[in-house]
Amino acid sequence: MQATLNIHRFVDGKKWVQTYKVEVQTGMTILGALTEIKEKQDPTLSFACSCRSSICGACATRVNGNAELSCEVLVEGLMKRYRSEELTIEPLGNFRVIRDLVVDWDPKYARIKKIRPVVHPKDEFSAEKGCLQSPADFNKYKKLAGCILCGSCVSECNKNALNEDDFLDPFAFVKALKIATDTRDKDAKDHVKAAIDAGLWACFNCQECTAKCPKGLDPAGAIEKLKALSFQYKLDDNVGARHAKAIYDDIQESGTLDESKLNIKSEGFLAAGLRLPMALRLMNVGKMNPMEKHPVNPEIKTIDAVVKAAEAAEKEEV
Amino acid sequence: MSNEISRRTFIKGAAAAGVVLSASGCFSWNGRNIPEKVRRGDVTYDVLIIGSGGAGMRAALAAAGNKDRKVAVMTKLVPTRSASTMAQGGMNGVTGLTDPTDSIESHAFDTIKGGDYLCDQDAVEYFAERAGKNIFEMDYMGYPYNRQEDGHFHSRKMGGHSHPRAAYFEDRAGHAMVHTLFEQCLDKGIDFISECQMLEISMAGDKLAGVIAMDMRTGNFIGIPAKTVLIATGGYGRAYWVRTSNPYSSTGDGIVAGMKVGIPFKDPEMVQFHPTGLSVNGVLLSESSRSEGAILLNKNRERFMEKYAPEKKELATRDIVARSIATEIEEGRGVGEGLTAGVYLDFTHIPAERIHERLGQVYDLSKRFAGVDITKEPVLISPTCHYSMGGLEMADFHTGETRVPGIYTAGECSCVSVHGANRLGANSLSEVLVFGHTAGDGAAAYAKGHPYEGSQDQLAKDCAKWKDHFDEVTTRPHEGNRTVPEIRDAMVQTMWFKAGVFRNGPQLEEAAKELAKHEEDYKKCYVGDPSHVYNTAFEQYVELGNLLQISHAIVQGAIARKESRGGHTRRDFPKRDDANFLKHTLIFKDETGYRAEYKDVVITKYPPKERKY
Repeated sequence: MQATLNIHRFVDGKKWVQTYKVEVQTGMTILGALTEIKEKQDPTLSFACSCRSSICGACATRVNGNAELSCEVLVEGLMKRYRSEELTIEPLGNFRVIRDLVVDWDPKYARIKKIRPVVHPKDEFSAEKGCLQSPADFNKYKKLAGCILCGSCVSECNKNALNEDDFLDPFAFVKALKIATDTRDKDAKDHVKAAIDAGLWACFNCQECTAKCPKGLDPAGAIEKLKALSFQYKLDDNVGARHAKAIYDDIQESGTLDESKLNIKSEGFLAAGLRLPMALRLMNVGKMNPMEKHPVNPEIKTIDAVVKAAEAAEKEEV
Repeated sequence: MSNEISRRTFIKGAAAAGVVLSASGCFSWNGRNIPEKVRRGDVTYDVLIIGSGGAGMRAALAAAGNKDRKVAVMTKLVPTRSASTMAQGGMNGVTGLTDPTDSIESHAFDTIKGGDYLCDQDAVEYFAERAGKNIFEMDYMGYPYNRQEDGHFHSRKMGGHSHPRAAYFEDRAGHAMVHTLFEQCLDKGIDFISECQMLEISMAGDKLAGVIAMDMRTGNFIGIPAKTVLIATGGYGRAYWVRTSNPYSSTGDGIVAGMKVGIPFKDPEMVQFHPTGLSVNGVLLSESSRSEGAILLNKNRERFMEKYAPEKKELATRDIVARSIATEIEEGRGVGEGLTAGVYLDFTHIPAERIHERLGQVYDLSKRFAGVDITKEPVLISPTCHYSMGGLEMADFHTGETRVPGIYTAGECSCVSVHGANRLGANSLSEVLVFGHTAGDGAAAYAKGHPYEGSQDQLAKDCAKWKDHFDEVTTRPHEGNRTVPEIRDAMVQTMWFKAGVFRNGPQLEEAAKELAKHEEDYKKCYVGDPSHVYNTAFEQYVELGNLLQISHAIVQGAIARKESRGGHTRRDFPKRDDANFLKHTLIFKDETGYRAEYKDVVITKYPPKERKY
């Protein structure tokens, strides 16, 4: 069986798509195919790899638009998934490309630094005697410690694609949550604050990161948990938190959203006032009617029962 | 005529202008893989560490303990991609937490016995004393240890150890170590010089000048001045290329650079073969396969371990099982041929639920790479090179220094010697912590007491030499020359079949001759990529050159050691010979070739005995 790989090349400022054919053998991963091409067909094809056992995180690439660890996915499996002998291989998205499939990691490290990525042990612990932590507390963050920094989560991150300057890579938030839930740490609040300052609330909630993580981590879930922690630590004096709180209150009160108040509650009266031009544009195209009676959405009669159930669930979680 | 010359001159001029333009394009790259001060050339590092695995980053943290010290870690990849991440089992150290009856003497003795008495016993005592302390320190740094009920980290027992003493994170002990150390390095603001392939250590006469490296992103050759260089580049398992569990990056770069400046390669022949690597590509199937009850069958479906180890069968030690498998294959009872020949590892009698529950990773790897569902049919395995006990001689284990002033070493690329002729499980991670720490301190102390005595001119000269070399190598024609992968494949054939699990005199002599032939081919080999940007073809060329030298040293060491001990098995000398070989091999390299010397093993209070389990 033969596979056709359309590989996005980028060398010395030139960009093109180059097509290679490889004979698919048992156990041939995307990395195996790339290696075979480099060895037998084209020594100029460049890509990064190291352990080929899906633990070092070096070889993530995009296949047909989805991030994969190239040492882990089989060519045959992908051909079946996409029902095609042709696969397109590109460098990870939301990274600067250096050459071919090699991407630039350096800006990412600077971004990880923003969440203060290190445990600050409590005062009762010491380097000589170590720390104490119950197995149950260990279990709370152990999954998060499995991140291999492969960059798959950020490759299709829609928020990063739009603007990466007021947000971080999902893996950075995973690290922030790891440290914030590690009971050895005395500054959990600081790490949550750092995450908020770095753009926690800007997440679009599109779940691409969670869908792409090859290690089964849940970066989108980590972002949600950090948001929940921000309320716990009373770090809720910001637009994102107020927005969430406004929605929460509306739902609790009436079961429906009152969007006319949402903006004012989130951003404050003055900042919301600056949105006036947009409001006018909305009115102009008939998407907003200032004369409509409020609230726009009718109240939901059964909301009390829903709230009660939610409260019960909340108690259970503890 | 004049017209002709002027046209030619014009073309030459245009070409030169083109080169300048494209070069200036390269220089304008504003990546941050190299700190600004390195690019400006106005920094002399106190400690320049090569390698960003466990040893390198632990050393960096130790050396940077004093804020005045200028410390950097250089790596050919980006940090966290190292072989250390692949370690699964844990890190040994006596802490008395899980098993209060454990003792430092016991850890030292297990290590010495496991190493078949080729360990320097004073170094092992130093190691065992400090391993526990380093494990506690890692807890304080945030290592995600699995915990026991009293809140302390839990330790498990590994093969060859008489007490549970390996602290761990799940089955990813190394991964957690690397990421914990990396977090610390980020926090401490340690300089990383990423994606720079070290090419050589530059010496101005007998004074250390610094390190020459290729910045992969620009193809620039950079010389970084340093008062001390700490080599922590990892092992050399890739000398067996596809028949290794090591990452692509374990090519012994630091060892070769060290040999070039006069540091001997100690015990190169001591290579550990793990019995159960997938035949198709050498990827490791965990030891737990056999402890969960998988059995080994030859092509006639005979359970051959009954013959070699009637009592323990598959549960015999790594070296015994590896040799048994190799014997079956050699005598024609294996399946398949060549590098991918193997024997069956059979799980089919184990309930499928248990396989999924306890051997999830083994199931996944077999399914992925060999296309075999191990709950239904056996998978083909054969021995795979797993660990390099040999390495650059560490002259003083209290400081990590080598015999060349200013050059330090730690980790798998060094030979202390703690592991002797065979490393025990979970001793490698503790070794990188203990000696990374020690060497980091040692190098920093040296840098404090010594001025920089090297010469920037020398660095510039060496860079220019490499630049010329690059231009020559990358523009060679394909016609008539072998490619880098072709020579590499030939090297594996030599190393695996003539200097692998089993060795004997005549075959080793042949191996030496074949390697000389490969080196001839290498001198004119085809690389095929002239670009300056991220030229991995040239990088692989450099790595192959290093592997060929490493292979030479392995073979030289194996020829000289006329006995069988630990990872080194001679068919023509099947017994351990303490009378003649209770000593370390030291391989030196100079213009004339390779030369072997010997150094006695240090014995303190554990007299050599027969190694039995």
